[in-house]
Amino acid sequence: MNALRWSIRWRSLRHRTAQTILAIAAIASAVALPVVLLSVGGGVYSHELSSIEEVGFSISVDSAASHGISEAHSLSAQIDRISGVAAASPILSVPVDLFTPGGHVVPVLAEGVIPAAFMATQSAAERALLPSSINLGDPDDSVHYANGTYAGISSAQLLLSTPLLQTLNVSTGAVVGLSPSSNASAGTVFTIEGSFGLPPGILGPSPLFVALLPLSQLQSLVGLAHAPTGALLDSVDSIQVAMAPALAADPAAVQRAATAIRALVPYYSVTSLTQQTTEIQNAQAVITGFYVGLSSIGLIVGLLFLVIILLRRVEQERQSIGIRRAIGVPGWMVARGIVAEALGLTAAGVLAGVAGGVTTVELFARYGSGTVSDIASLAVFNPIELGLLAAALVALALLASALPVRRALRLSLPEVLR
Amino acid sequence: MSAPAAATIRLEEVRRLYHSGEPDEVRALDGVDLTIAPGEYLSVEGPSGSGKTTLLNLLGLLDVPSEGRVLWQGAPVEGLPERERTRLRRTGIGFIFQRFYLLPTLTALENVELPLQARGAPGPERRHRAEALLAQVGLSDRARSFPHQLSGGEEQRVAIARALANSPQLLLADEPTGELDSVRAQQVLDLLEEAHRTSGAAVVVVTHNRTVAARANRHLTMSDGRIVSDSAGR
Repeated sequence: MNALRWSIRWRSLRHRTAQTILAIAAIASAVALPVVLLSVGGGVYSHELSSIEEVGFSISVDSAASHGISEAHSLSAQIDRISGVAAASPILSVPVDLFTPGGHVVPVLAEGVIPAAFMATQSAAERALLPSSINLGDPDDSVHYANGTYAGISSAQLLLSTPLLQTLNVSTGAVVGLSPSSNASAGTVFTIEGSFGLPPGILGPSPLFVALLPLSQLQSLVGLAHAPTGALLDSVDSIQVAMAPALAADPAAVQRAATAIRALVPYYSVTSLTQQTTEIQNAQAVITGFYVGLSSIGLIVGLLFLVIILLRRVEQERQSIGIRRAIGVPGWMVARGIVAEALGLTAAGVLAGVAGGVTTVELFARYGSGTVSDIASLAVFNPIELGLLAAALVALALLASALPVRRALRLSLPEVLR
Repeated sequence: MSAPAAATIRLEEVRRLYHSGEPDEVRALDGVDLTIAPGEYLSVEGPSGSGKTTLLNLLGLLDVPSEGRVLWQGAPVEGLPERERTRLRRTGIGFIFQRFYLLPTLTALENVELPLQARGAPGPERRHRAEALLAQVGLSDRARSFPHQLSGGEEQRVAIARALANSPQLLLADEPTGELDSVRAQQVLDLLEEAHRTSGAAVVVVTHNRTVAARANRHLTMSDGRIVSDSAGR
């Protein structure tokens, strides 16, 4: 493009500063909204997906009721025998009170696990947060459980999360008490075997104060070993199932194992993470479509504003256009000037909108409160999405310039030059 | 009827009606026959509303007749698409307006470059030609000035340079001194005469001013949309 054309356009923009700023601001606002929505929405979903992909298990068995999976040891053993399954880890999570020798009482989340099975269902990243091996005095949780008798020797060992250990200011080897109520005498005394780090939560903070102890120990402690009638409960919240490493990435193998588990316990919810991933991806597609639909309203408003601005400019510059047409400037050159102006305003609006959107998300991440900050910090700015957005805006700018171009080329020269 | 090949432009029985067929119909031109030969210098006089500007618009291919024919160098132009009429204006016709009509956002030099750019002339050639034309009208030192920084006489001289940029065969001037004092008017008329002499273009000047008309070698007088007299001589 030559210097003369540039100078015509630049000075035209400069002479209409207020309109130029308004047009850019309108387009920028229309662009900033989808930038914020798509980046934050996409970021949250990406984070959820990566969190799912990072866990070491492939199938989760749950009950709708609280602690509704009964006979967990036996069921886990049956699941273990299904082809392709590497380990089945029953987990019970219950809030309890922890008593220190110094007399402090701290509420903690107690997680009852079968140590060996639990380790086998952890991903490499999760294992890195744990001690190299978890013993807890009874790696298979078989001594104390003993086929539902709960009569064996209690291991009475536990692991505490690092933040909890630091807060209590105690070290490995120290003794603490756990009780389902504020009555310390109703509890059991445990020896601290070691500590573990906590994985980041999907959204919001993870519980910081966590104790990991043998499943049967926790079941006995909180009354989920036997019913008051003496009948076997052996209850847990969920059973996490890990596939053999060679099959973990094979959706068909995971699906086959899930089907086999479902046949065992058709009254429980059996969810494969592949299925969860698909559901999240579908949900993401729906939400993204919703965001795009919502954003398109803003884009249409921006487009209408651009049309109005360009029409107004044609009206204001009708004499200049008439002079140029009279001295022989071809119609396509006049049209090109209007289209270039539309594209210039749009490009500036897109740049300002993207910058505004990114800045808004950054500000939310840095200064937003709680969840707002957590969600904003997950935002992902996808260059393909931003590119598509810019392309859509360019297409809209071309569309927006059609009417002003038509108006400019239909000016009556004798009337304009009268 | 075919026009003589020598004619730059010819109008045959041209009528220009506004609000045609309505009670307030206006006959701006009513059966005008006019042939303009290369190198002629015409003045067009007449009272306001006599059809002078309408005639100029038709000669400049800015407007189309309601009836009759306009022939540019022997070829009829009615029925030509706007794109083609624009090309003829660009290559064959120069305009000088009473109110100068320079583009306010361009410098004097850029205003003169504009018709050259429209023709597709390369940048250096365009710049060189525009500078030469500004030198011809005595405005080399004002090349970088914007129209609002120029006097009326200077603006009209820039407009003359712009009109001459593409070496037109027909130069149309609508009251070219109408907004100038007598001294500057004389300067502009001298320039116009010099341009006529050096370029060989036919010149048509619409004016109310006898002094301006006196420079021409053919004089038309219009009244009520008709040419009521057509005489030669200074």
